[in-house]
Amino acid sequence: MATLLDILTTAAILYSVAAGLLIVFGVMKIINFAHGGFLTVGGYSALLITKLGLNPWWSVPCAFAIGFVCGMLIERLVMKPLYSRPLDAILATWGLGIIIGQLITLGVGREVQFVQSPVSGTIDLLGGTYSGYRLLLVLVAVVIAIGIALLLNGTRLGLVTRAVIMNENLARGLGINSGLVRFITFSLGAGLASLAGALITPLSSVDPNMGVPWLINAFMLVMVSGVSLVSLAVACLVLGGAQVLVSSWGNPILGGLTIVVLAAVVLRLRPQGFSRG
Amino acid sequence: MSEAALDVRAIRSGYGEAPVLRDVSFDVRPGEIFALLGKNGMGKSTLLKSVMGFLPLHAGSVGVFGADITGLPPHKVARREIAYTPQEQALFQDLTVEDNLRLGMRDDTFFDAGVKRIGQFFPVLPTRLKQRAGTLSGGEQKMLLVARALMSRPKLMLIDEISEGLQPSVIDRLAGVLRAERDESKVSILIIEQNVKFALSVANRYAVLKLGEIVDRGDIGGADVERRITDQLSV
Repeated sequence: MATLLDILTTAAILYSVAAGLLIVFGVMKIINFAHGGFLTVGGYSALLITKLGLNPWWSVPCAFAIGFVCGMLIERLVMKPLYSRPLDAILATWGLGIIIGQLITLGVGREVQFVQSPVSGTIDLLGGTYSGYRLLLVLVAVVIAIGIALLLNGTRLGLVTRAVIMNENLARGLGINSGLVRFITFSLGAGLASLAGALITPLSSVDPNMGVPWLINAFMLVMVSGVSLVSLAVACLVLGGAQVLVSSWGNPILGGLTIVVLAAVVLRLRPQGFSRG
Repeated sequence: MSEAALDVRAIRSGYGEAPVLRDVSFDVRPGEIFALLGKNGMGKSTLLKSVMGFLPLHAGSVGVFGADITGLPPHKVARREIAYTPQEQALFQDLTVEDNLRLGMRDDTFFDAGVKRIGQFFPVLPTRLKQRAGTLSGGEQKMLLVARALMSRPKLMLIDEISEGLQPSVIDRLAGVLRAERDESKVSILIIEQNVKFALSVANRYAVLKLGEIVDRGDIGGADVERRITDQLSV
C-alpha cells in the first residue's frame, strides 16, 4: 500500500516539475535548461518565507510570482534575441541555469538548508499511515494539471497557444503575436518550475544545485511525452513508478538513474515515446 | 486613381541570398479580384510570403490601402484586415473546425454571427464544428480555408492556389463565393493560380509571373486572353 502511495506521490512531484518544461518545449521548441535554476529559485523562495517567519503556505504564491517575474525578465533580455537561433537559445538556457546557481551561492552560500513544511504529520489512510504533505502534493499536481488544461482548452489565450504549438507561421499569418505567446509561456514555465521547487523543499533540503537532478528527470520525461500533458502524466506514473520500485527493492542510487535509463530505452524502441500516433 | 488595396512596388526577395523575385510590381484595386498566374517554381508563393512579411524584402515596398507595411512582421500585416490563405499546411489539422474558424477572428465576439454568415456559403461547415479539421475531405478543407478567411470580414484577401486538386464542382462553388464577396462586400482579392479557367472566371485583371518577373499583364475580357495566358504558361 505504501509503495502504491509512493508511486502516486512521486509521479505527482515529477509532473509538477516537468509540466512547465513541457509547455515551454511545446511553444518554443527548445528545452529550457534553466528550468532547474528556476526550480532552485523556488526552493530559496520557500526558504525566504521560513526565514521571515511567515506561514509556510505563503511560499506557494511567492515562489510562483518570483519565478514568473524571473521568467519575464529572462525571456525579454536573453531569449527573445535568440529566437531565430534555437541552438544558441538552448545553450543560453544552459548557461542561465549555471548563472542562477552561482548567484544563489554568492548570495546565500553553499550550505544545505531546511524549510518548514506547511503540513506536518501523517494521515491514516487505508489501514496505514502516510505523510500528509506527500498526499497534499498529489492534490497540487491535479490542480496544476486541471489549471493548465482549462487555460489551454477553455480560453482564447489557450487556443492561440495551441495554434502556435502546432504551426507557428500559420498562426502568425492569422494575426497572432507569437512573440507574446512565447513571452507568456516562458514566464509561466518559469513560474511553474519555481512553484515546484517550493513544493519539493519540505521533502528534501535547499542547496544551490538542488534543481539539477530534477531538471535531468524532467527533461527525459518531456522527451518521452512529446507535447502532450496527458502523455506526461502517463510517463510520470510509469517511469516515476519504476523509480520507486527500483529504489525500494534495489537501491536508491540505481533508483536515481531509473528514469533516465528507462526513458532512453523507451525512445530507442518507440521514438514517439508515450505520445499517441 | 484612389489608393490601391495592395500596392507591390519593385520588390526583390527570396530565400537567403538567392533572389526569387526580381523587381515585381503590380497593384490590386479596391473591390477587384486580381489573378497572378504562373507555373510551379516561378515565385508565386514567395511573393505572398514577402507581402506578408515572412520573407524580408531585399528591395522595394509593399503598401495596403495607402499605408506602407514594408518590413512589418506577419501578425501586424494580418491585423490590417488582411486574410492570408497559404497553400500548404494552411489548417490546424488537429484542431476542430470551430477552433480553426475562431483563429480567423481577432476575438470571439462575433463568432456566432460569423458562422451563420459562412454557413450561407458553405452549409456543410456549421454542421461539422466539432470535427477535427484534418478529417474533412480535401474539398471541405479548402472551403474551411476560405470560410476562415471570411470570418474576420477582411478588406483584402490573399489566396494561394485554392483550386489545386479540387473537383470542378467545388471550384465553381469557391469561385461563386469569391465573386460574391467582391461584388457585395467590396473585398479586394489577390489570387495566385495555375488554373487559368478558374482565374478567368473570377478575376478582373491578371499578371503572369515567370522566373520571378512579370512577363504579361492585362484586363480579363479580351477574346484572346485565355490563349495568351496559356501560351505564356506553356513556354
